[in-house]
Amino acid sequence: MADTTISATFDVYRFDPAVDRSARYQRYTLDLAPHTPVLTALLRIRAEVDPTLSLRYSCRSAICGSCAMQVNSKSRLACETQIGPEIARHGRIVVEPMHNQPVLRDLVVDQTPFWREYERVEPHLKLDPARPMPADRPTSMTPEQVERFKETPRCIACAACYSSCPAVEADPEFPGPMALAKLYRYVVDPRDTATRERLVGIQAGGLWLCLRCHLCTDACPKDVRPSERIRDLKELAIAAQGATEPGSRHAVGFKESIRGAGLLNEMQLVRRTYGPLGLFGQLGQGLRIWRKKPEVVRRPHRIEKVEEIEKIYAALDTGSEAPK
Amino acid sequence: MKFAYYPGCVAQESGKELDLATRWVCRALGIELVEFPSFSCCGSGFVDEANEVLNVAINARNLAIAERAGLNLLTICSTCQGMLTLANHRMADPKVRARVDGALKPLGIEYRGTVRVTHLLRVLVEEVGLPAIRAKVRRPLAGLKVGAFYGCHLLRPTDEMGGEGGGDGEEPHSFEDLLAAIGADPVYYRGRVMCCGFPIQFVKEATANRIAGHQIQDAKSHGADAMATPCPLCHITLDAYQNKAEKAVGARLDMPVFHLPQLVGLALGATPEELGLPRHLVPTEPALARVRPSGA
Repeated sequence: MADTTISATFDVYRFDPAVDRSARYQRYTLDLAPHTPVLTALLRIRAEVDPTLSLRYSCRSAICGSCAMQVNSKSRLACETQIGPEIARHGRIVVEPMHNQPVLRDLVVDQTPFWREYERVEPHLKLDPARPMPADRPTSMTPEQVERFKETPRCIACAACYSSCPAVEADPEFPGPMALAKLYRYVVDPRDTATRERLVGIQAGGLWLCLRCHLCTDACPKDVRPSERIRDLKELAIAAQGATEPGSRHAVGFKESIRGAGLLNEMQLVRRTYGPLGLFGQLGQGLRIWRKKPEVVRRPHRIEKVEEIEKIYAALDTGSEAPK
Repeated sequence: MKFAYYPGCVAQESGKELDLATRWVCRALGIELVEFPSFSCCGSGFVDEANEVLNVAINARNLAIAERAGLNLLTICSTCQGMLTLANHRMADPKVRARVDGALKPLGIEYRGTVRVTHLLRVLVEEVGLPAIRAKVRRPLAGLKVGAFYGCHLLRPTDEMGGEGGGDGEEPHSFEDLLAAIGADPVYYRGRVMCCGFPIQFVKEATANRIAGHQIQDAKSHGADAMATPCPLCHITLDAYQNKAEKAVGARLDMPVFHLPQLVGLALGATPEELGLPRHLVPTEPALARVRPSGA
């Protein structure tokens, strides 16, 4: 069997706040089969080399979501990440705790901020007390209604998305991909009666801070595609309440601004998003850019056949999109 | 080599220098760009937020224009690349297609789904090829350390963009390979595949500026003399708003930011004026001064 193993170098993040002033990386080298999961390797290190290594895990089968960590700078489930491809790509395996959550010890993070955002979206059915669910039979849904949940029921709350999210990193007001994907799941649930208040709440509650970078969708081990569910929530929020926030005003303003000429009208969009007073606040920066790029204040030329754009809008932008 | 040229809105207006540089480089490398004055805006991700099907429809119209001419479509913007590619994917959903067709067919427009959407970066690396580019380099950018900044939508979601965008999914290196081919020293740093902050520039400026500042600081701390991007929206954020990013992170950045074809053009012998470099907000001269003269 010896010829089927590879020598795998692990650089593992170590930090014990009771002893260490700062984090360090400890190197372990093991001979392992290329298909060995990173989690199995870490458990072997703990059992055979270093019993002080702390990590969180449970099922080892990519179901419980406990063992998410940074493997070579990507948020992954350690139990389903094999060492072979990592070694082939990076030459070694750097294992670090998840980002965006304080480190308790080694690879174990304090998930309080992640769960706080989860609780904030009230991830449970809100029912109409006047219309309780029947106790004696299941509630039926049409296949179309079920389809609207999309991939969200697959979420195992591993926090890989939260760990990979640059908006979470940059702004505590952003609830994070998982909480928003969960919220979406209740917004489209036909049994839930709080759809509108959920959408109104989230429109002002950080929804528009999503950067659309799709790092969460890449990180998600269950293919929940959180960034797409956040997009869905944005469209639903506008449909439910209109554009009430800078982010939604910008999205709707952008949509309207390409209507006349078929191309973006930068000045008009800035005016729509900020309003006349806000526009005044952008004057200094605008002037700075205008000196080098005078086109910023120019109306765009009109594309040929721009009337086609208007007709497409007339057919598809009727303001009654996305019914529940 | 012939493409339907999709310049996108910014390169036709405030990012005109990107269009100039693209035309110069394509002329030098024998890439024929066919123009279609009926192309509309791609929606830039914002129309998608407001109305997904509408966004697919305006891009299906763009794709149908290229399809009628029998051409694949060349973009010079990561966001245009992302939006047009997503439209291709979403048209595969029969429900979306039915609604889009319902809007387009009365206009005599039908998109059959045959157009490949490709970015200039990918054309240079995979179709022109690095050996052919290397052979045409007249002024290698030796000594210039450049941090590539890909722009999210060229790379992700990987499932959709992997084959068409950056092309190399998890660990993109096509941009760095191109930089090496023109003699520059590519700098690898975490921020190169991260977001520039542009999408929330109008939502929460302070956060957007901080994100941009961190990416520039990251490139700088890894030794970059300059950054380069295949996305004019990233360019706006990193160049035109760099003064705001500096305030947000409380540090001088002084980071020249090039559009991808500008660096290729410089290496192939174009002058800074031909590539629109004087239009940048952060002067590019300090970076150009780092280039070692040939033979040195």
